[in-house]
Amino acid sequence: MGPLFVNNIISENTNFLLAFFIGIGFGMVLESSGFSSSRKLAGIFYGYDTVVLKVFFTAALTAMLGLLFMSLFGWIDLSLVYVNPTYLTSAIIGGAVMGVGFIIGGFCPGTSFCGAAIGKIDAMVFVGGLFLGIILFSETYPLWEKIYLAGFKGSPKLSESLGLSDGLLALGVILMAVAMFYVAEWAERKFPREEY
Amino acid sequence: MEEKHKDRSRSYLNPYLGGVLLGLVLLAANFISGRGLGASGAVKSVIVAATQTIAPAHVEKNAYYHDYMQEHDKPLKSWLVFQMAGVLVGGFISGALWGRLKLKVEHSPKITSRKRLFLAAIGGILFGFGSQLGRGCTSGSALSGMAVLSLGGFITMAAIFGTAFAFAYFFRKNWI
Amino acid sequence: MKPRVILSIAVVGLGLIIAAVPKNTTQPYKLTANQLLDEANSSYQFFSPDELADLLIKKDPSILLIDVRDPEEFATYNLPGSINIPFSDLLNSEWTGTLNQDVRINIFYSNGTLLANQAWMITRQLGYLNNYVLEGGLNYWVETIMNPDKPQSTSPNEELARYDFRKAAGAALGGGAAIAPVVEESSTPRPVIIRKPAKKKVSGGC
Repeated sequence: MGPLFVNNIISENTNFLLAFFIGIGFGMVLESSGFSSSRKLAGIFYGYDTVVLKVFFTAALTAMLGLLFMSLFGWIDLSLVYVNPTYLTSAIIGGAVMGVGFIIGGFCPGTSFCGAAIGKIDAMVFVGGLFLGIILFSETYPLWEKIYLAGFKGSPKLSESLGLSDGLLALGVILMAVAMFYVAEWAERKFPREEY
Repeated sequence: MEEKHKDRSRSYLNPYLGGVLLGLVLLAANFISGRGLGASGAVKSVIVAATQTIAPAHVEKNAYYHDYMQEHDKPLKSWLVFQMAGVLVGGFISGALWGRLKLKVEHSPKITSRKRLFLAAIGGILFGFGSQLGRGCTSGSALSGMAVLSLGGFITMAAIFGTAFAFAYFFRKNWI
Repeated sequence: MKPRVILSIAVVGLGLIIAAVPKNTTQPYKLTANQLLDEANSSYQFFSPDELADLLIKKDPSILLIDVRDPEEFATYNLPGSINIPFSDLLNSEWTGTLNQDVRINIFYSNGTLLANQAWMITRQLGYLNNYVLEGGLNYWVETIMNPDKPQSTSPNEELARYDFRKAAGAALGGGAAIAPVVEESSTPRPVIIRKPAKKKVSGGC
């Protein structure tokens, strides 16, 4: 049955329309969870507000379990779902650059759009920075091409790399995430939250 | 102080409830379109489309744009662009519902607005750059990648949060 | 405090279930019985001997002939350039890369149509694309290409042209002795092969 678009159950234009509605859901959830506030987002790195960690991991767990169960019931063919390719070098270096950008700018791309939508000027500036950064990368692409293409591993799943079944890995991720939730609650009690 | 704090935090969703809802949105994206959510990819589409309108010759010349155009004949007609348009609308709706629509620069009382804007711009540039190098940002690579158990997703997630934690100390004065 | 506990119990419980179910049940067949019936009915999987001869003479690099008979039969006689995947060995993981790919066109053949068609059906149900069947099998191939019946001189022109083509093809492919110019285009309209387009690729990224 699923994914509907890949199996030609819905047309390309319907897919785009639904993308818009999915985006509305995405934006509403981000905003109502407090992701439009950079101080709330940055809180995770100082322990005073761990909403990012909780929302991020709960969402990953929910979607992960949802996909595995839907596949179990035969509702979705997981081999047709896009799995991000793994380029080891660029994933680590790119991730590190993003990490620095996160702690300096206080947003990530999705949340900055969300903040910009409700009138946060710092978020709008961050979005402007995003444009500049992407243009910068594209214009200087020959310099980074080697790093960009290095360490290609195909599109493996973590479960395949570790030799575990999808379900077993999912359980491992769940246990880790739940442990982190408990640490996060502890940190929130330990580090005082200022009003903002 | 305590009372005010409670009021404010009640206006946001419980983070676990928010997480489950976000997970359902991500699940819907995978079920309907066979792909995850994203953000920086939409910015890239807009940039490629704009460059193509202003300077088509440049798109031909630049290897990175060129590769992108090979895969997408109409850069603006991409899934992520529609999705990000939805994010703007959705964020606005939610902000309006909870009375959070307000033009302001949010910053720690210890720094000025000007400094906050400067930092936001630097952060944006770094994040934009990194998202291209790492093939996706927090939502596209880390969150959506983790949901499909992608090895790359876990690595990007660890790299983003690990580095941010490692550098948090040096930038603490901007936030706390 | 409470939402965290509820969530923890829910996700750990579901995680235990998903970890406990056997993996193979999470991989259903790619095609439903109805889809397969439609495809089998449309007969799109068949290559006629004339089409195949044409491709072989042109040395089309995109085709791979696969003999699904026993190794003994394969050793006795096979088509030039073919490989042997015995039917009983079809699902051996050694062949997965050969059968499940999107570069070449695989053409199964056996003595008749039956065995090759069964091989096609099995691979198709697994969702593999680009596998086809030689219509009529080797029997029909020998009959038409290697030893074509000479039509009567009163036959319509196209039948004569087809005979010329077959005779030349048979000669070029190691059949009869006659050497005749290779007819590039026979005037017989060849059946149009409808190839199933490969599934759309989803692009992703952020």
